[in-house]
Amino acid sequence: MITRRHLILGAFALGAPFAASLAHADQLADVKQKGQIVFGVLGTDEPNSFIEPKSRQLVGYEIDIANAIAKKLGVKPVFKQISVAARIPELQQGHVDILAASLTHNKERESQVDFALTHFVTGSKVMVRAASGITGLPQLAGKKVLTVRGGTQETNIRKAVPNVEVVTFENTQQAFQALRQGKGVAYVNDESSLLSDYGKLGPAAKGFTILSPSIGNEPLALGLRKGEKGLKAVVDQTLRELESSGAAEQLFNKWYGPGTRTNLAKRSFKIHTDRI
Amino acid sequence: MFFDPTILQSGQYHDWLVQGLVLSIQLTVISFAFALPFGALVAVMRTSSLAPLRAIGATLVEAIRNVPLLAHLLFWYFAFPELLPESAREVLYANNPEVVCAVIALSLYAGVHMAEDIRSGIRAIPATQLEAARSLGLGRIAAVRLVLLPQALRASVPPLLSQTVNLWKDSSVATVIGAAELMYQAARVETASFRSLEAFTFATLAYLTVSLLISAAAYLFQRRYPVRTA
Repeated sequence: MITRRHLILGAFALGAPFAASLAHADQLADVKQKGQIVFGVLGTDEPNSFIEPKSRQLVGYEIDIANAIAKKLGVKPVFKQISVAARIPELQQGHVDILAASLTHNKERESQVDFALTHFVTGSKVMVRAASGITGLPQLAGKKVLTVRGGTQETNIRKAVPNVEVVTFENTQQAFQALRQGKGVAYVNDESSLLSDYGKLGPAAKGFTILSPSIGNEPLALGLRKGEKGLKAVVDQTLRELESSGAAEQLFNKWYGPGTRTNLAKRSFKIHTDRI
Repeated sequence: MFFDPTILQSGQYHDWLVQGLVLSIQLTVISFAFALPFGALVAVMRTSSLAPLRAIGATLVEAIRNVPLLAHLLFWYFAFPELLPESAREVLYANNPEVVCAVIALSLYAGVHMAEDIRSGIRAIPATQLEAARSLGLGRIAAVRLVLLPQALRASVPPLLSQTVNLWKDSSVATVIGAAELMYQAARVETASFRSLEAFTFATLAYLTVSLLISAAAYLFQRRYPVRTA
Protein backbone atom coordinates (compact mmCIF):
# COMPACT_ATOMS: atom_id res chain seq x y z
CA MET A 1 0.00 0.00 0.00
CA ILE A 2 1.41 3.40 -0.90
CA THR A 3 1.32 5.51 2.22
CA ARG A 4 1.77 9.25 2.66
CA ARG A 5 5.30 8.51 3.87
CA HIS A 6 6.17 6.96 0.48
CA LEU A 7 4.83 10.00 -1.34
CA ILE A 8 6.82 12.43 0.80
CA LEU A 9 10.02 10.40 0.41
CA GLY A 10 9.42 10.18 -3.32
CA ALA A 11 8.98 13.94 -3.54
CA PHE A 12 12.28 14.46 -1.72
CA ALA A 13 14.06 11.99 -3.99
CA LEU A 14 12.83 13.78 -7.09
CA GLY A 15 13.47 17.21 -5.65
CA ALA A 16 16.95 16.51 -4.29
CA PRO A 17 18.84 17.02 -7.60
CA PHE A 18 17.19 20.41 -8.09
CA ALA A 19 18.02 21.47 -4.55
CA ALA A 20 21.59 20.28 -4.92
CA SER A 21 22.12 22.33 -8.05
CA LEU A 22 20.97 25.51 -6.35
CA ALA A 23 23.64 25.36 -3.66
CA HIS A 24 27.07 25.39 -5.34
CA ALA A 25 30.32 26.83 -4.11
CA ASP A 26 32.54 29.11 -6.16
CA GLN A 27 34.07 27.11 -9.02
CA LEU A 28 37.54 28.64 -8.52
CA ALA A 29 37.68 27.33 -4.95
CA ASP A 30 36.38 23.93 -6.13
CA VAL A 31 39.04 23.65 -8.80
CA LYS A 32 41.87 24.59 -6.44
CA GLN A 33 40.60 22.11 -3.90
CA LYS A 34 40.29 19.27 -6.42
CA GLY A 35 43.76 20.02 -7.78
CA GLN A 36 42.67 19.63 -11.39
CA ILE A 37 40.69 21.52 -13.99
CA VAL A 38 38.81 19.87 -16.84
CA PHE A 39 39.02 21.55 -20.26
CA GLY A 40 36.48 20.60 -22.94
CA VAL A 41 38.34 20.49 -26.27
CA LEU A 42 37.47 19.39 -29.77
CA GLY A 43 40.66 17.48 -30.58
CA THR A 44 39.61 17.47 -34.22
CA ASP A 45 40.17 21.11 -35.18
CA GLU A 46 43.72 21.55 -36.38
CA PRO A 47 45.60 23.66 -35.26
CA ASN A 48 43.45 24.79 -32.31
CA SER A 49 43.34 21.35 -30.74
CA PHE A 50 44.17 18.12 -32.51
CA ILE A 51 45.89 14.80 -31.94
CA GLU A 52 49.46 14.75 -33.18
CA PRO A 53 49.77 11.57 -35.28
CA LYS A 54 53.25 10.56 -34.16
CA SER A 55 52.97 11.13 -30.40
CA ARG A 56 49.18 10.67 -30.27
CA GLN A 57 49.00 13.55 -27.81
CA LEU A 58 46.51 16.40 -27.81
CA VAL A 59 48.33 19.52 -28.99
CA GLY A 60 47.36 22.89 -30.37
CA TYR A 61 46.99 26.63 -29.87
CA GLU A 62 44.13 26.29 -27.40
CA ILE A 63 45.82 23.38 -25.62
CA ASP A 64 48.84 25.60 -24.96
CA ILE A 65 46.61 28.38 -23.64
CA ALA A 66 44.78 25.87 -21.42
CA ASN A 67 48.09 24.59 -20.05
CA ALA A 68 49.12 28.17 -19.22
CA ILE A 69 45.87 28.72 -17.31
CA ALA A 70 46.25 25.47 -15.38
CA LYS A 71 49.83 26.47 -14.51
CA LYS A 72 48.62 29.86 -13.25
CA LEU A 73 45.96 28.18 -11.09
CA GLY A 74 48.49 25.67 -9.85
CA VAL A 75 46.37 22.65 -10.79
CA LYS A 76 46.64 19.76 -13.22
CA PRO A 77 44.95 20.22 -16.61
CA VAL A 78 42.69 17.37 -17.78
CA PHE A 79 41.42 17.39 -21.36
CA LYS A 80 38.07 15.95 -22.36
CA GLN A 81 37.25 15.62 -26.04
CA ILE A 82 33.73 16.72 -26.90
CA SER A 83 31.78 17.26 -30.10
CA VAL A 84 30.89 20.65 -31.56
CA ALA A 85 27.20 20.26 -30.71
CA ALA A 86 27.86 19.10 -27.15
CA ARG A 87 30.14 21.96 -26.06
CA ILE A 88 27.69 24.24 -24.27
CA PRO A 89 25.53 21.43 -22.78
CA GLU A 90 28.65 19.73 -21.35
CA LEU A 91 29.78 22.99 -19.76
CA GLN A 92 26.35 23.75 -18.33
CA GLN A 93 26.00 20.28 -16.87
CA GLY A 94 29.35 20.49 -15.17
CA HIS A 95 31.12 17.73 -17.10
CA VAL A 96 33.83 20.24 -18.07
CA ASP A 97 35.02 23.34 -16.21
CA ILE A 98 36.20 25.49 -19.13
CA LEU A 99 35.58 25.20 -22.87
CA ALA A 100 38.65 25.55 -25.08
CA ALA A 101 36.86 24.29 -28.17
CA SER A 102 36.99 26.89 -30.96
CA LEU A 103 33.94 28.49 -29.35
CA THR A 104 32.71 31.62 -31.13
CA HIS A 105 31.71 34.49 -28.86
CA ASN A 106 28.36 35.83 -30.05
CA LYS A 107 25.33 37.59 -28.58
CA GLU A 108 23.07 34.50 -28.64
CA ARG A 109 25.51 32.47 -26.57
CA GLU A 110 26.06 35.22 -23.98
CA SER A 111 22.82 34.14 -22.29
CA GLN A 112 24.17 30.60 -21.89
CA VAL A 113 27.85 30.98 -21.03
CA ASP A 114 30.39 33.61 -20.01
CA PHE A 115 33.34 34.28 -22.29
CA ALA A 116 36.95 35.05 -21.42
CA LEU A 117 39.06 37.48 -23.45
CA THR A 118 38.90 36.76 -27.17
CA HIS A 119 42.04 34.79 -27.97
CA PHE A 120 41.63 34.35 -31.72
CA VAL A 121 39.75 36.15 -34.44
CA THR A 122 38.92 34.51 -37.74
CA GLY A 123 36.21 34.63 -40.35
CA SER A 124 33.75 31.99 -41.40
CA LYS A 125 34.41 31.14 -45.04
CA VAL A 126 33.26 28.79 -47.77
CA MET A 127 35.42 26.27 -49.64
CA VAL A 128 34.00 25.22 -53.01
CA ARG A 129 34.87 22.52 -55.52
CA ALA A 130 36.58 24.23 -58.44
CA ALA A 131 34.68 21.99 -60.87
CA SER A 132 31.36 23.49 -59.78
CA GLY A 133 32.30 26.83 -61.37
CA ILE A 134 31.06 28.76 -58.34
CA THR A 135 32.96 32.01 -57.86
CA GLY A 136 30.64 33.96 -55.58
CA LEU A 137 28.28 33.40 -52.66
CA PRO A 138 25.01 34.14 -54.54
CA GLN A 139 25.75 31.22 -56.89
CA LEU A 140 25.32 28.88 -53.92
CA ALA A 141 21.54 29.46 -53.92
CA GLY A 142 19.76 26.13 -54.28
CA LYS A 143 23.03 24.19 -54.04
CA LYS A 144 24.06 21.73 -51.35
CA VAL A 145 26.49 23.00 -48.70
CA LEU A 146 28.10 20.70 -46.13
CA THR A 147 29.22 21.60 -42.65
CA VAL A 148 29.37 20.45 -39.04
CA ARG A 149 26.34 20.31 -36.78
CA GLY A 150 25.85 22.52 -33.72
CA GLY A 151 28.17 25.45 -34.48
CA THR A 152 27.82 28.90 -36.01
CA GLN A 153 28.54 27.62 -39.53
CA GLU A 154 24.98 26.69 -40.52
CA THR A 155 23.54 29.95 -39.17
CA ASN A 156 26.16 31.99 -41.04
CA ILE A 157 25.69 30.34 -44.44
CA ARG A 158 21.89 30.49 -44.22
CA LYS A 159 22.11 34.22 -43.44
CA ALA A 160 24.51 34.82 -46.34
CA VAL A 161 22.63 32.70 -48.92
CA PRO A 162 18.90 32.45 -48.17
CA ASN A 163 18.01 29.52 -50.47
CA VAL A 164 20.93 27.30 -49.69
CA GLU A 165 20.46 23.61 -48.88
CA VAL A 166 22.56 22.70 -45.84
CA VAL A 167 23.47 19.16 -44.77
CA THR A 168 25.30 18.83 -41.44
CA PHE A 169 27.45 16.03 -40.05
CA GLU A 170 28.67 15.00 -36.61
CA ASN A 171 32.16 16.43 -37.08
CA THR A 172 34.13 18.58 -39.51
CA GLN A 173 36.08 15.57 -40.85
CA GLN A 174 32.97 13.86 -42.15
CA ALA A 175 31.69 17.07 -43.69
CA PHE A 176 35.03 17.67 -45.43
CA GLN A 177 35.14 14.03 -46.57
CA ALA A 178 31.67 14.42 -48.05
CA LEU A 179 32.88 17.53 -49.91
CA ARG A 180 35.87 15.63 -51.31
CA GLN A 181 33.57 12.83 -52.44
CA GLY A 182 31.37 15.30 -54.27
CA LYS A 183 28.27 15.02 -52.14
CA GLY A 184 28.01 18.81 -52.01
CA VAL A 185 29.52 21.79 -53.80
CA ALA A 186 30.74 23.71 -50.76
CA TYR A 187 31.99 23.32 -47.20
CA VAL A 188 31.73 25.97 -44.48
CA ASN A 189 34.10 26.36 -41.54
CA ASP A 190 36.34 28.87 -39.77
CA GLU A 191 38.93 30.30 -42.14
CA SER A 192 41.81 29.02 -40.00
CA SER A 193 40.43 25.45 -40.15
CA LEU A 194 39.77 25.76 -43.90
CA LEU A 195 43.34 26.86 -44.53
CA SER A 196 44.59 23.95 -42.47
CA ASP A 197 42.42 21.45 -44.39
CA TYR A 198 43.45 23.03 -47.69
CA GLY A 199 47.07 22.55 -46.76
CA LYS A 200 46.40 18.90 -45.92
CA LEU A 201 44.97 18.19 -49.38
CA GLY A 202 48.38 18.34 -51.04
CA PRO A 203 48.14 18.02 -54.85
CA ALA A 204 44.35 17.63 -54.65
CA ALA A 205 44.12 21.23 -53.43
CA LYS A 206 43.92 22.36 -57.05
CA GLY A 207 40.34 21.09 -57.14
CA PHE A 208 39.19 23.43 -54.37
CA THR A 209 38.99 27.18 -53.81
CA ILE A 210 38.24 29.21 -50.70
CA LEU A 211 35.85 32.03 -51.56
CA SER A 212 37.14 35.35 -50.28
CA PRO A 213 34.00 36.93 -48.73
CA SER A 214 33.70 36.17 -45.05
CA ILE A 215 30.19 35.09 -44.00
CA GLY A 216 30.70 35.74 -40.31
CA ASN A 217 33.22 37.22 -37.94
CA GLU A 218 34.31 34.56 -35.50
CA PRO A 219 36.00 35.82 -32.33
CA LEU A 220 36.99 32.65 -30.49
CA ALA A 221 37.09 32.72 -26.71
CA LEU A 222 37.22 30.29 -23.82
CA GLY A 223 33.79 29.47 -22.41
CA LEU A 224 33.00 29.55 -18.69
CA ARG A 225 29.86 28.78 -16.74
CA LYS A 226 27.66 31.78 -16.15
CA GLY A 227 28.42 33.74 -12.99
CA GLU A 228 31.85 32.26 -12.28
CA LYS A 229 33.54 35.62 -11.75
CA GLY A 230 36.46 34.27 -9.74
CA LEU A 231 37.56 31.79 -12.38
CA LYS A 232 37.01 34.29 -15.19
CA ALA A 233 39.22 36.82 -13.45
CA VAL A 234 42.10 34.32 -13.27
CA VAL A 235 41.63 33.20 -16.88
CA ASP A 236 41.52 36.80 -18.16
CA GLN A 237 44.58 37.66 -16.09
CA THR A 238 46.52 34.72 -17.57
CA LEU A 239 45.56 35.79 -21.08
CA ARG A 240 46.64 39.39 -20.44
CA GLU A 241 49.98 38.17 -19.11
CA LEU A 242 50.50 35.95 -22.16
CA GLU A 243 49.81 38.95 -24.39
CA SER A 244 52.02 41.44 -22.55
CA SER A 245 54.96 39.04 -22.32
CA GLY A 246 54.81 38.33 -26.05
CA ALA A 247 54.03 34.66 -25.43
CA ALA A 248 50.63 34.99 -27.09
CA GLU A 249 52.15 36.19 -30.35
CA GLN A 250 54.72 33.40 -30.19
CA LEU A 251 51.92 30.86 -29.77
CA PHE A 252 50.13 32.34 -32.76
CA ASN A 253 53.25 32.09 -34.90
CA LYS A 254 53.91 28.56 -33.69
CA TRP A 255 50.52 27.26 -34.81
CA TYR A 256 49.30 29.70 -37.47
CA GLY A 257 52.31 31.70 -38.55
CA PRO A 258 54.66 31.49 -41.52
CA GLY A 259 55.80 27.97 -42.26
CA THR A 260 52.77 26.27 -40.78
CA ARG A 261 50.01 24.72 -42.88
CA THR A 262 47.78 27.75 -42.30
CA ASN A 263 50.69 30.05 -43.11
CA LEU A 264 49.31 33.42 -42.03
CA ALA A 265 51.90 36.14 -42.41
CA LYS A 266 50.96 38.23 -39.41
CA ARG A 267 48.57 38.18 -36.47
CA SER A 268 45.72 40.61 -37.13
CA PHE A 269 44.41 40.90 -33.56
CA LYS A 270 45.57 41.30 -29.97
CA ILE A 271 44.23 39.56 -26.89
CA HIS A 272 42.78 42.45 -24.97
CA THR A 273 38.98 42.43 -24.82
CA ASP A 274 35.98 40.24 -24.14
CA ARG A 275 33.53 42.59 -25.86
CA ILE A 276 32.24 41.77 -29.34
CA MET B 1 10.97 30.28 -19.03
CA PHE B 2 11.61 26.70 -18.06
CA PHE B 3 9.37 25.08 -20.69
CA ASP B 4 7.99 27.19 -23.53
CA PRO B 5 5.45 25.17 -25.56
CA THR B 6 4.76 28.04 -27.99
CA ILE B 7 7.88 27.30 -30.01
CA LEU B 8 6.46 23.83 -30.69
CA GLN B 9 3.05 24.99 -31.81
CA SER B 10 3.91 27.45 -34.58
CA GLY B 11 6.78 29.32 -36.12
CA GLN B 12 10.07 28.32 -37.68
CA TYR B 13 11.17 25.75 -35.08
CA HIS B 14 7.78 24.05 -35.27
CA ASP B 15 8.15 23.84 -39.07
CA TRP B 16 11.61 22.27 -38.82
CA LEU B 17 10.42 19.66 -36.31
CA VAL B 18 7.38 18.77 -38.39
CA GLN B 19 9.54 18.43 -41.54
CA GLY B 20 11.80 16.12 -39.56
CA LEU B 21 8.85 14.04 -38.35
CA VAL B 22 7.53 13.72 -41.91
CA LEU B 23 10.92 12.55 -43.21
CA SER B 24 11.26 10.04 -40.35
CA ILE B 25 7.87 8.58 -41.22
CA GLN B 26 8.79 8.48 -44.93
CA LEU B 27 12.09 6.72 -44.17
CA THR B 28 10.29 4.14 -42.04
CA VAL B 29 7.48 3.46 -44.52
CA ILE B 30 9.81 3.12 -47.52
CA SER B 31 12.29 0.96 -45.61
CA PHE B 32 9.45 -1.23 -44.34
CA ALA B 33 8.13 -1.66 -47.88
CA PHE B 34 11.53 -3.01 -48.95
CA ALA B 35 12.39 -4.84 -45.73
CA LEU B 36 9.33 -7.05 -45.43
CA PRO B 37 9.53 -8.69 -48.89
CA PHE B 38 13.32 -8.97 -48.54
CA GLY B 39 12.85 -10.58 -45.12
CA ALA B 40 10.25 -13.01 -46.41
CA LEU B 41 12.54 -13.98 -49.31
CA VAL B 42 15.52 -14.58 -47.03
CA ALA B 43 13.37 -16.55 -44.58
CA VAL B 44 12.12 -18.80 -47.36
CA MET B 45 15.69 -19.22 -48.62
CA ARG B 46 16.84 -20.27 -45.16
CA THR B 47 14.09 -22.87 -44.84
CA SER B 48 14.34 -24.22 -48.38
CA SER B 49 15.37 -27.78 -49.19
CA LEU B 50 18.21 -26.59 -51.44
CA ALA B 51 21.53 -26.29 -49.58
CA PRO B 52 23.02 -23.43 -51.66
CA LEU B 53 19.93 -21.28 -50.99
CA ARG B 54 20.15 -22.02 -47.28
CA ALA B 55 23.84 -21.05 -47.30
CA ILE B 56 23.23 -17.75 -49.08
CA GLY B 57 20.36 -16.91 -46.74
CA ALA B 58 22.39 -17.69 -43.64
CA THR B 59 25.36 -15.63 -44.89
CA LEU B 60 23.20 -12.61 -45.62
CA VAL B 61 21.56 -12.73 -42.22
CA GLU B 62 24.78 -13.17 -40.26
CA ALA B 63 26.74 -10.58 -42.25
CA ILE B 64 24.12 -7.86 -41.89
CA ARG B 65 22.82 -8.65 -38.43
CA ASN B 66 26.20 -8.69 -36.67
CA VAL B 67 27.30 -5.21 -37.77
CA PRO B 68 25.90 -2.16 -35.95
CA LEU B 69 23.41 -0.03 -37.85
CA LEU B 70 25.69 2.98 -37.49
CA ALA B 71 28.43 1.12 -39.36
CA HIS B 72 25.94 0.17 -42.09
CA LEU B 73 24.86 3.78 -42.54
CA LEU B 74 28.43 5.08 -42.72
CA PHE B 75 29.35 2.32 -45.18
CA TRP B 76 26.43 2.94 -47.55
CA TYR B 77 26.90 6.71 -47.47
CA PHE B 78 30.68 7.19 -47.45
CA ALA B 79 32.12 3.93 -48.84
CA PHE B 80 29.57 2.45 -51.24
CA PRO B 81 29.23 5.43 -53.63
CA GLU B 82 32.99 5.42 -54.16
CA LEU B 83 32.73 1.85 -55.44
CA LEU B 84 30.11 2.76 -58.03
CA PRO B 85 31.01 3.71 -61.61
CA GLU B 86 31.20 7.47 -62.24
CA SER B 87 27.82 7.79 -63.98
CA ALA B 88 25.91 5.85 -61.30
CA ARG B 89 27.57 7.96 -58.64
CA GLU B 90 26.50 11.20 -60.34
CA VAL B 91 22.92 9.97 -60.49
CA LEU B 92 23.00 9.03 -56.81
CA TYR B 93 24.47 12.38 -55.71
CA ALA B 94 21.90 14.30 -57.71
CA ASN B 95 19.00 12.55 -55.97
CA ASN B 96 19.21 13.05 -52.21
CA PRO B 97 21.97 10.52 -51.42
CA GLU B 98 21.43 10.92 -47.66
CA VAL B 99 17.87 9.56 -47.83
CA VAL B 100 18.66 6.91 -50.46
CA CYS B 101 21.61 5.49 -48.52
CA ALA B 102 19.63 5.61 -45.27
CA VAL B 103 16.79 3.64 -46.89
CA ILE B 104 19.23 1.02 -48.24
CA ALA B 105 20.91 0.57 -44.86
CA LEU B 106 17.65 0.51 -42.88
CA SER B 107 15.90 -1.87 -45.31
CA LEU B 108 18.73 -4.40 -45.19
CA TYR B 109 19.14 -4.17 -41.43
CA ALA B 110 15.42 -4.42 -40.65
CA GLY B 111 14.98 -6.97 -43.43
CA VAL B 112 17.32 -9.55 -41.95
CA HIS B 113 15.81 -9.16 -38.49
CA MET B 114 12.36 -9.63 -40.02
CA ALA B 115 13.71 -12.65 -41.90
CA GLU B 116 14.58 -14.34 -38.64
CA ASP B 117 11.13 -13.59 -37.22
CA ILE B 118 9.39 -14.88 -40.33
CA ARG B 119 11.60 -17.97 -40.23
CA SER B 120 10.31 -18.63 -36.68
CA GLY B 121 6.80 -18.20 -38.04
CA ILE B 122 7.51 -20.69 -40.84
CA ARG B 123 8.87 -23.19 -38.32
CA ALA B 124 5.70 -22.75 -36.25
CA ILE B 125 3.54 -24.02 -39.12
CA PRO B 126 3.24 -27.84 -39.01
CA ALA B 127 5.16 -29.53 -41.81
CA THR B 128 1.96 -31.32 -42.76
CA GLN B 129 0.62 -28.07 -44.25
CA LEU B 130 3.34 -27.93 -46.88
CA GLU B 131 3.09 -31.67 -47.54
CA ALA B 132 -0.66 -31.39 -48.01
CA ALA B 133 -0.19 -28.47 -50.41
CA ARG B 134 2.36 -30.41 -52.48
CA SER B 135 0.17 -33.51 -52.53
CA LEU B 136 -2.71 -31.40 -53.84
CA GLY B 137 -0.55 -30.67 -56.87
CA LEU B 138 0.74 -27.18 -56.03
CA GLY B 139 4.30 -26.52 -57.22
CA ARG B 140 7.08 -25.66 -54.73
CA ILE B 141 6.79 -21.89 -55.18
CA ALA B 142 2.99 -21.89 -55.29
CA ALA B 143 2.82 -24.00 -52.12
CA VAL B 144 5.08 -21.57 -50.29
CA ARG B 145 3.27 -18.52 -51.64
CA LEU B 146 -0.33 -19.69 -51.14
CA VAL B 147 -0.16 -21.99 -48.11
CA LEU B 148 3.02 -21.51 -46.08
CA LEU B 149 3.74 -17.78 -46.15
CA PRO B 150 0.25 -16.46 -45.31
CA GLN B 151 0.11 -18.68 -42.25
CA ALA B 152 3.71 -17.93 -41.31
CA LEU B 153 3.18 -14.17 -41.58
CA ARG B 154 0.16 -14.31 -39.30
CA ALA B 155 2.14 -16.28 -36.76
CA SER B 156 5.05 -13.82 -36.87
CA VAL B 157 3.02 -10.63 -36.38
CA PRO B 158 4.08 -10.08 -32.72
CA PRO B 159 7.84 -10.21 -33.40
CA LEU B 160 7.35 -8.32 -36.68
CA LEU B 161 5.59 -5.61 -34.72
CA SER B 162 8.66 -5.28 -32.50
CA GLN B 163 10.89 -5.10 -35.56
CA THR B 164 8.74 -2.40 -37.13
CA VAL B 165 8.86 -0.31 -33.96
CA ASN B 166 12.65 -0.88 -33.90
CA LEU B 167 12.83 0.26 -37.52
CA TRP B 168 10.91 3.41 -36.63
CA LYS B 169 13.28 4.17 -33.76
CA ASP B 170 16.37 3.21 -35.81
CA SER B 171 15.45 5.81 -38.41
CA SER B 172 16.86 8.30 -35.90
CA VAL B 173 20.38 6.91 -36.47
CA ALA B 174 20.23 8.24 -40.04
CA THR B 175 21.07 11.62 -38.53
CA VAL B 176 24.77 10.72 -38.70
CA ILE B 177 24.74 10.73 -42.50
CA GLY B 178 22.93 14.05 -42.67
CA ALA B 179 19.39 12.83 -43.34
CA ALA B 180 17.22 15.65 -41.98
CA GLU B 181 14.89 13.47 -39.93
CA LEU B 182 13.36 14.19 -36.52
CA MET B 183 16.45 13.88 -34.29
CA TYR B 184 18.52 15.94 -36.75
CA GLN B 185 15.91 18.70 -36.71
CA ALA B 186 15.56 18.53 -32.92
CA ALA B 187 19.34 19.04 -32.59
CA ARG B 188 19.11 21.88 -35.08
CA VAL B 189 16.38 23.57 -33.03
CA GLU B 190 18.52 23.14 -29.93
CA THR B 191 21.53 24.78 -31.59
CA ALA B 192 19.48 27.67 -32.92
CA SER B 193 17.40 28.38 -29.82
CA PHE B 194 19.14 26.65 -26.88
CA ARG B 195 15.71 25.21 -26.00
CA SER B 196 16.79 21.60 -25.73
CA LEU B 197 13.96 20.57 -23.38
CA GLU B 198 11.20 21.62 -25.77
CA ALA B 199 12.89 20.20 -28.86
CA PHE B 200 13.59 16.79 -27.36
CA THR B 201 10.17 16.64 -25.67
CA PHE B 202 8.60 17.06 -29.11
CA ALA B 203 10.84 14.32 -30.51
CA THR B 204 10.07 11.96 -27.62
CA LEU B 205 6.31 12.47 -27.90
CA ALA B 206 6.46 12.02 -31.68
CA TYR B 207 8.39 8.73 -31.40
CA LEU B 208 6.03 7.50 -28.67
CA THR B 209 2.88 8.40 -30.61
CA VAL B 210 3.94 6.72 -33.83
CA SER B 211 5.15 3.60 -31.96
CA LEU B 212 1.74 3.32 -30.30
CA LEU B 213 0.03 3.78 -33.67
CA ILE B 214 2.14 0.96 -35.13
CA SER B 215 1.14 -1.25 -32.19
CA ALA B 216 -2.52 -0.37 -32.73
CA ALA B 217 -2.23 -1.23 -36.43
CA ALA B 218 -0.67 -4.61 -35.57
CA TYR B 219 -3.43 -5.31 -33.06
CA LEU B 220 -6.11 -4.58 -35.67
CA PHE B 221 -4.28 -6.79 -38.19
CA GLN B 222 -4.18 -9.65 -35.71
CA ARG B 223 -7.89 -9.32 -35.04
CA ARG B 224 -8.70 -9.34 -38.74
CA TYR B 225 -6.26 -12.17 -39.61
CA PRO B 226 -5.92 -14.33 -36.54
CA VAL B 227 -3.64 -17.35 -36.39
CA ARG B 228 -5.75 -20.38 -37.16
CA THR B 229 -4.66 -23.26 -34.99
CA ALA B 230 -4.85 -26.66 -36.68
